This record gives sequence, structure tokens and C-alpha cells, in this order.
Amino acid sequence: MSPSRTSLSFLFLLAIFTVQEAAISRISFPIAGFSLFLAVLIGMMALEDRRGAIALGFIGGLILDLSPTSNSPVGQWALVLTIVGYVIGTNRESIGDFTTRPGAFVLFVALATALTLLLSLILGALIGDQAGTLGRNVIVILGNTLWTFLFAPLFLPVLSLLRKSMLTSRERI
Amino acid sequence: MAGRGGNRSRLLLVILLVTSLFLITLDLRGVSLTSKSRSVTQSFLSPIQRGVSTVFSPVGNLFSNIRNFGTTKSKIDDLKRENAKLKAQVIFNEDTSGKLKKLRGALNLAGRAGYTVIAAQVIGKGSASTFSQTITLDAGAADGVKKDMTVIGSYGLVGVVKEVTASSAVVLLMSDPTFRIGVRVARSQSIGVVIGEGDGRFVLQLLDPAGNIKKGDVLLSLGSDGNRPFVPGVPVGRVTSVSDTSASLTQNARVQGFENLNSLGVVAIITKAAAKDPRNALVPTPEPTVTVYVTPKPVVDSATIAPTPTPSKKG
Repeated sequence: MSPSRTSLSFLFLLAIFTVQEAAISRISFPIAGFSLFLAVLIGMMALEDRRGAIALGFIGGLILDLSPTSNSPVGQWALVLTIVGYVIGTNRESIGDFTTRPGAFVLFVALATALTLLLSLILGALIGDQAGTLGRNVIVILGNTLWTFLFAPLFLPVLSLLRKSMLTSRERI
Repeated sequence: MAGRGGNRSRLLLVILLVTSLFLITLDLRGVSLTSKSRSVTQSFLSPIQRGVSTVFSPVGNLFSNIRNFGTTKSKIDDLKRENAKLKAQVIFNEDTSGKLKKLRGALNLAGRAGYTVIAAQVIGKGSASTFSQTITLDAGAADGVKKDMTVIGSYGLVGVVKEVTASSAVVLLMSDPTFRIGVRVARSQSIGVVIGEGDGRFVLQLLDPAGNIKKGDVLLSLGSDGNRPFVPGVPVGRVTSVSDTSASLTQNARVQGFENLNSLGVVAIITKAAAKDPRNALVPTPEPTVTVYVTPKPVVDSATIAPTPTPSKKG
């Protein structure tokens, strides 16, 4: 992942984060909320190589940590998403390229969202964060996974195209 | 080459994990750098949220509106034609009157207790990090809002101010799992702690195992030292059921909050507590119901009265 693409990805994630905090968060979704930011971030990580996924996970986590509405300590989301980035990057090499398989891509992003939220809960519990009832947390995770699964087909093709246009000639090879 | 690439990935992973852990340690140790960085983000976001709020306000409840659609479709079609011209105005009016109603309620509640308040509009809701429950208000430090101030709605407690920037404030809702508030039972004066469970339900842990509590009891905030984060006397919720915990050290009860945290439009931030503890002044009183007794009046109608049968003469 080239430095220029890292910077562009950072700016893009910042824009998505602003949309999430200013607009998406205002919609009262049934069951539980939908995090466009998490879904886009995971989609971007799934398209990168291992190092790119780790770096994007850390950058995205740091942005999420700086959210004024976040309750967890700064660094928690960065830690969770770095681990998720590593897991995604490692498995992506065995799964192959997602750009040619949109169905698998959507399913992968939805499941990775569930994994991210679960990891965040576990880490929160380890550092003594209060996380509500088990039932509520299950609903939040399932609801987010469902909404991500439903909405991901709308923006994942755009992500694939954006990434393709940003690749350097060396990276294309 | 692959091996070298793998090593680089692992090195990057270790560096970033250590950095994350370092940041968590700094935050848990209370280094102000981390909280300041969140304030900076909020300063950047609040003007955008305010702008989006104006446009987005009627769309916020889109899904609940869709659920109530369906059954009366034909009727809606008729009304749709009739309302087409006034649609934009109606939406605006509904939004405004809803906010006015909420504002009136909040100011009424504050006035009864003698609190000094600042009214604020909700411009943001929820969080990208999904688990925390917060709202963002359009009033900030420039309006006199400070961290750890109590926020109330039309019927009772909403939450507490968590972050403040010049023009906005983030409020931690009482439904957040990290939320704790000391309360007293209005009827028996027993004290306890109400804990948010993340879904609008709350648990009351009574500190005195022999304390007196029953279904329907009203809980009021106990108040904090210096009235921050909580002023005394704010209605918190009503006990819906008492758990049978004869073996445990504390008595537990389920509590329903007075305020509907899913439909907050306008709230009031208490900037100054009442000079005197309002005690039970804010305990909600049931609204008087009008009972109409209808005494049935016998209706005499010649057409409906059957003629009296006359005995027929035999032989």
C-alpha cells in the first residue's frame, strides 16, 4: 500500500466517518443501528494485502476512537481493528480476490462486522468496560450484521472501483 | 520473498498493537490529551451535524413510519393527493410543534423544581462505535454548558453532559451500560443505585437489604457533591417489578425510565440547581381522569310497544 494511497484512504475514511456521525447515526434503525463506517472500513481492508489491511485497521480504529460519542478508552478500537485487519489480511490470501465475487464479498464484510463487534465487546470486558446485558449485545451484533448484509451491495462495488482507480501501475501488476 | 513480507507484516502488527495498548494505558490513566482529541473532533463535527439535523430531522424516524404504513393504503392515497401541496409545510409544522411540546415539558419540569436551565436541540444521535448511547446537543461552552451537568427532558432524567465544545455538547444517555446514578425511593426514602442496561431498561440496586420498595415506587436522583453530575430531585424512573433476592446482600428491582430516550427532540441542561432541595416536588402525579356516568333513560315509543294481549272469549 503506497503512502499516497494510505493518505487518500485516511481522508476517505474521515469523510465516511463524518457522514456516519452527522447523518446515519440519526436514523433509528429497527433491531439495532448500522455503522456505515465499520462496513466501509472492513470492505477496504478486505481488498488490501496483509500489511494494507493491518494499516487500514489501525487508521480506521484511531478515527473511531476519536469519536466524541465513543465510550471506550482511546486505542481500544485501534487495537480491535488492527487485529481484525490482520485476520482479514491473512484469510484474504487464501480466499482470493473479492472483486470478481460480489456475493462472497458482501457475506465476508457482514461476518467480519460481527467479528469486530464481538472482539470489541470481549476486549471491553477485559479492561473493565461496562457493556450492558448479553441479550442487548447479541441484538446489537446481529442487527449490525443484518443491516451491513443488506446495505453492503450498494457501496461495495463503488469501493472496488475506487480502489482500482487508485492503484499505481506497479500495484496493478 | 514471501517470508520477508510475512515478517514485515508481523512487525507492523506488533508495532501497531503496542501503540494501541500504549494509547489505552494513557487514556485509562486519565491523560488529558485523549479527551482533548475527542473535543477537537466534536468541534469539527458539530457544525456539520447542525446543518444535517435541519434537513434530516423528519427522516430520522423513517423506519418506524414505514412499519405503520400498509393497512390503510387506499385512505392514504386519498390523503396523499389532498396533502401534496402542504406536505413540506406539514412536516415542518409537526417537527416544530413536537419540539415545542418537548421544550414546554422540560421547562415545566425545571420550573417546578426551581432549576436554572438551558434549552438545547438534539442535533446528533448514536455513535459510530455502536455500543455507547449518546446524543449531541446544539448548546456548548459558549452557552454556559459545562461537563457533568444534568440533562432532563419533559418527564425526567435524560443523561449527563460528557463532552463540551464551544457550540455543542455530547450527552451520555441514562440507558448507556456505563451509566450509574444514586437514587432515593420517594415513598420510603430508601437509597440505591440505578444502572443502565443498554436497552431502555434499568436495574435498581437498593443499598439497604431491608429497604422498603414496591412496584410503582418513583425514584428520584439523590444528587451529587456540588450538584454535579447530578442535581437532587430529578425523576429517574418507576419500579416495574421487585426481584425476590432474599439470599443476596442487596435488593434488586426493574425500573422503567420516565423519559422516552428514542424520541428526544429538545432537552434542558441544568446549569444551576435549585437553592433548596426540591425533595418530592417532581414526583409525577397521575393526571386526573374524567369519569362520566350515564344513566339510561327509559324510552317510551308507541310504535315499539306491543299491544297488551287481551284474553279471548271462549264459548
